[in-house]
Amino acid sequence: MQRALVAAVLAIVAGAGAPAFAQSVAVPRPKTVEISGGVTLVGGYDFGASNAELTPNAGTSPPFVEFKTTNRLKPGLGLQGRIGFVITPALAVEGGVRFTRPTYEVRVTDDFEGAPNTTIEETLSQYVFDGALVWHITGARFAGGSGVPFLYGGAGYLRELHEENAFVEEGIEYHAGGGIKWWFGQSGRIGIRAEGGISIRDGGFDFKDGKRMVPVAGASVIYSF
Amino acid sequence: MTRRSRAIALTAVLTALVVVPVGAYLKLGTRVGTRTESLRWRTFPIRYFITNAGVSGVTAQQFQDAVTRAFNTWHAVENTQTSSTFVGFVQARPFSEDGANVIGYLSQPGQDRTLAATTFTVDTTDGRILESDIYFNTIFPWSTSDGGTADRYDVESIALHEIGHFLGLSHSALGETELIGGSRRVIAAQSVMFPIAFRAGNIADRSLKADDIAGISDIYGTSTFNRELGSVSGRVTKSGRGVQGAHVVAFNPKTGKLVGGFTLNEAGDFVIAGLEPGPQILRAEPLDDGDVTSFFDDDFDVDLDFRVTFYERIVAVPRGGGARDIEIKVTAK
Repeated sequence: MQRALVAAVLAIVAGAGAPAFAQSVAVPRPKTVEISGGVTLVGGYDFGASNAELTPNAGTSPPFVEFKTTNRLKPGLGLQGRIGFVITPALAVEGGVRFTRPTYEVRVTDDFEGAPNTTIEETLSQYVFDGALVWHITGARFAGGSGVPFLYGGAGYLRELHEENAFVEEGIEYHAGGGIKWWFGQSGRIGIRAEGGISIRDGGFDFKDGKRMVPVAGASVIYSF
Repeated sequence: MTRRSRAIALTAVLTALVVVPVGAYLKLGTRVGTRTESLRWRTFPIRYFITNAGVSGVTAQQFQDAVTRAFNTWHAVENTQTSSTFVGFVQARPFSEDGANVIGYLSQPGQDRTLAATTFTVDTTDGRILESDIYFNTIFPWSTSDGGTADRYDVESIALHEIGHFLGLSHSALGETELIGGSRRVIAAQSVMFPIAFRAGNIADRSLKADDIAGISDIYGTSTFNRELGSVSGRVTKSGRGVQGAHVVAFNPKTGKLVGGFTLNEAGDFVIAGLEPGPQILRAEPLDDGDVTSFFDDDFDVDLDFRVTFYERIVAVPRGGGARDIEIKVTAK
């Protein structure tokens, strides 16, 4: 009950000052909550070659290759949801989750015993739970103040499940990028958000230790209250 | 079980032993009444003796050092429980059925394609191993030098193979061979338990490969092994019917490790255990890189008439569990 009352009060305050689109209030407004949901695209990654090698009888020669594979994680389209709190017009904190279903693809070639070249796959379920700081570049507002570019940076937990949830691989994710938020209507509550950036992953499904970087992009609908 | 230098002889050293038609890896077994039991040591440390005789280029002490290193290589496999103790030098020769496990040289000129061999004496009432001996054939030149010696076979490498048998493993088919003048020569292998030895001077088989580790773990693995590793199981079929004796290999593209198994019945069922969790690529091939009797009993029908085939999906192996119901569909040549 208390929560409903607070929300109503905030809505009234916000509504009272909401001008028409062409005269919209500068956003984002401090002390507001932003909920967004939409689609995300996470870029692919080449794991490289991995050969099935045998030890040669002639000890000094290079390994005998039974067959070759090239491995990559294809780009994955998925869903994302975020919730943020605007501390000041310039600064917000947010957390969220991204879910994608990328395909791990292996191209098998050059089999010593003549098996035809083939491509085989499995589908992963990839989750990133993250937190981030968002810096609104208020000096670059556009569309009468209803749009604002932003930069973001944060870190999260990467969880990747192989097909049929048979095996879980975990890691840390760091991300940074930029985008725009653009609110519509006089209320300034509903808008869109588009962003792009990089995601640096340490751990999770990879063929070697170390970090890898993939591009990420997303588009969401925002509701602000 | 024998280790051949160049070609596969058609003799079976251990007629009393059979290949156990269960589990992941080819294991030695014995008939106990109407049952077949895996051949495994039940008490540790295993006590063994060394024949107090050397050969040209290798003293008895050097031989013992190499054999002990080979034993220790097997004992060092993580998540397994085996151990052994060298008791001392003896005058007894291997194969003397004296109740002691004796390892040493023996002249076997009639076995001119057999580098070494392992025998067992088994209590057929309960499957207990009473004695196991290993002989190294003196008709071949031997070496224990650190880097190997050209034209001499490496004692430690061959000992590692024979001790694999001594501990209960049969042969692996992870290798490629070629026929030259009627003799089969190994081109490459990725298992110490491959039945055909590398050429003289090669010491690559002083270290165990993933396939060997999976095999020994299948027999002597601890609960940690079962908890941390996984398996794949399924069938190899041709026109809807099972393929018996197919060699199925799991390849981990992340680590490059290869572990093999076989289809061991007419339904074409196979199990490969001891796999690291994660993605595996499965490949089925006919057992055409060695004499079939190096792997199976004479009466075991092996289907060689199919093309090498990769399974159509990547298989994700769970930790402590199994990926099941995989069907690898092969076609006739």
